[in-house]
Amino acid sequence: MRVTNYMLFDNAQIQTAAARDRNFAAQQAVTTGVRVVHPGDDPAAAGIMVSYKMSLDRLTTIDKAVSRADDELQVADSSLQSVSTLLARARELTVQLGSDTYSASERANGAQEIRSISDQIKQVMNSQVAGRYIFGGNVDRTPPFDAAGNYLGDTTTRQIEVSPGLVENSSIRADQVIKGVGGGVDVLGTLASIANALASNDGPTLRGSITNIQTAGDQVAAALTQTGSMLDAFRSAQTVGQAAKDSAQKVLASETEVDIFDAASTLAAAQQGLEATLNVVAKSFQLNLLKYL
Amino acid sequence: MADLFSLLVQSGNSLAAHSAALATAGHNVANANTPGYSRQSVELVANPSSGSSGPFAIGMGVSIGAVVQARDMFVERQVPQTLAAGGRSQAESDSLQAVSALNPDLEGGLTTSLGKFYSSLRTLSQNPGDMALRQAVVISSQNLARSFGQTANSIEDARNGIDAKLNGDLDLINTAASSLADLNARIQNAHALGGKANDLEDQRRTAADTLSRLTGGSTYTNEQGDLMFALPGGTALVSGASAGRMSAVPDPANAGHFKVRVAKSDGSLAGDVPVSSLGGEVGGLLDARDGTLKTALNQIDGFAFDLATAMNTIHSAGYAMDGTTGRPLFTIPVSSSGAASQITVNAAISADATLLAAATTLPSATGDNRNILAMMTTETQVLAGGNNPVATLQKITGDFGASASRAQAMSQHDSAMVNHINQLRESTAGVSLDEEMINLTKAQKAYEAVSKVIGTADQMLDTLLKLR
Repeated sequence: MRVTNYMLFDNAQIQTAAARDRNFAAQQAVTTGVRVVHPGDDPAAAGIMVSYKMSLDRLTTIDKAVSRADDELQVADSSLQSVSTLLARARELTVQLGSDTYSASERANGAQEIRSISDQIKQVMNSQVAGRYIFGGNVDRTPPFDAAGNYLGDTTTRQIEVSPGLVENSSIRADQVIKGVGGGVDVLGTLASIANALASNDGPTLRGSITNIQTAGDQVAAALTQTGSMLDAFRSAQTVGQAAKDSAQKVLASETEVDIFDAASTLAAAQQGLEATLNVVAKSFQLNLLKYL
Repeated sequence: MADLFSLLVQSGNSLAAHSAALATAGHNVANANTPGYSRQSVELVANPSSGSSGPFAIGMGVSIGAVVQARDMFVERQVPQTLAAGGRSQAESDSLQAVSALNPDLEGGLTTSLGKFYSSLRTLSQNPGDMALRQAVVISSQNLARSFGQTANSIEDARNGIDAKLNGDLDLINTAASSLADLNARIQNAHALGGKANDLEDQRRTAADTLSRLTGGSTYTNEQGDLMFALPGGTALVSGASAGRMSAVPDPANAGHFKVRVAKSDGSLAGDVPVSSLGGEVGGLLDARDGTLKTALNQIDGFAFDLATAMNTIHSAGYAMDGTTGRPLFTIPVSSSGAASQITVNAAISADATLLAAATTLPSATGDNRNILAMMTTETQVLAGGNNPVATLQKITGDFGASASRAQAMSQHDSAMVNHINQLRESTAGVSLDEEMINLTKAQKAYEAVSKVIGTADQMLDTLLKLR
């Protein structure tokens, strides 16, 4: 092939520009660590980035929401533990003072303690987390129990998304646990009845309430089991979610980030290539007949 | 038999021929870097005997046969098509690479905004009565609407930018077409005067190359030797010494984007050039504007419309904190056309986050999150367009990326082809300084030798004149 001076210069320009471009791209890859910036860099990876970034967002937010619901459930669990303890004491008092060996004044003192237990239960059942009442169903801005023990919440169970597309219960229905809606006993009503029986020194009624106070304790124990199982479900969802997040992050990184070792060796090769190109170009310019004539 | 005076005359002619060879080599050296220049060479022809030299034919020195250009017509035939393909794919690739609105990692881009929108709904679902979280949903909804608008506007801006570039290219085309027509006339004049116009032919070829690169059109030569230029599809742009004129006019059928019109040299309308028929750089620009970018814009409009419609349906069925219902979350046009740039959050909800319909029943309890949960399900539900929101956005990004990647690959391939054909052309027509130095030396030595002949003849005449 006949080689002209214009070809030499043109070729030098093209080769130098190409070597610089490769060097620049390799530098960018090493310094940013990113392989895909424009969708055209790798269309398939760009599509995957959209999907996995959304997926990561979703899993991260689910995890946060579940953590907050978990906080509420832990307070609910602790509250129900307290109620359970209080009811155990109420049952103990009921059984103990049900014996006719106790005097009217001793029973009157017992009545006071039972009323105190009832007040404490109401107080515990009005627990809040971050300003939100946790036992009122979807009515979460007003206390679920008034001073008289009336339930002011609604009959819903709160729900939350615990993993993509999977919704789980996240609250305990106090109308069922405390008020006995749906076949249970009215805990506060039972305590009131016991307190009244104690105050009026009514032994037979008192002894008749033992079954109800026992059932009330069982109701709360069942709610505690329910809370525990919800907490377990949350924890396992979080574990699965974390694994899914790790996996999504791994895919995202493998699709979009550069392999640093690969990038570093590409950069070294590009730098050497550029140096060699510049050397060759400089030498090719030196060789012409003008020098020798 | 040659006499001494004839020898002096023929030597004088030979000096002129070698001077011309020297001047041509000098011309080549001077134009070594001139784009489009084809090296020239002097064809020396031995002058035959005058016929009066008896039985021996003694020649009469040398004269110039022709000054010819080096040009390989096999290569030249391939140049216009190669330049057109290179111009087209590079223009399309450059236009698509310049659009960053669909970059998947773009902060504030659709991927980020859509992710944050659903995240805010999810966070609100845990505590729907919380005003700060409600406000966060309003803000993320506004950001999503804004992001749709910015993405659509960014693509539309790119299309408008292409219109501006198209206008600039049409100016270049008109200049090159006028130049080609003018050169046709000047070359005709030179031929009429019996001369050759090598340098003008180079300029004419350069003008034709420019037209091919910009329009994808092709040249042909008429009987008079004029170089004619026709656009793809056959519309003549340059005919002899007459050049038509291309102009950009807004096309109402394409949202006011330019279409291309050709007027004849007398100003009468030759007609609109079908956009799909144009090639070269102009064709590449139109490919990007009315192909990939328009498709992406339509997809984003459709996505904005479908997502907002799905959200509005659910939101309208829910109850706000004040117990009102039937309120859409987004305000959208009646059809998907232009939806992305027009979508906004319902003004009432923007002003009052309590109007977000989180509840599904009355009285709307502050903790009722069931309508929010329903809105969240749209993330995985198939929209009217046939995919769920994530898959839709993934498809839009992937489709655009595939087009940009294809255009870039084509551009790289065509660029290599252009470099190759330029090198082939240059290999034949280009100037080698080494060669020209040799040619200069060759002409110089011949000139010196002829001078020596003149000197010898002079001495011989002198000797003759001294005889008594």
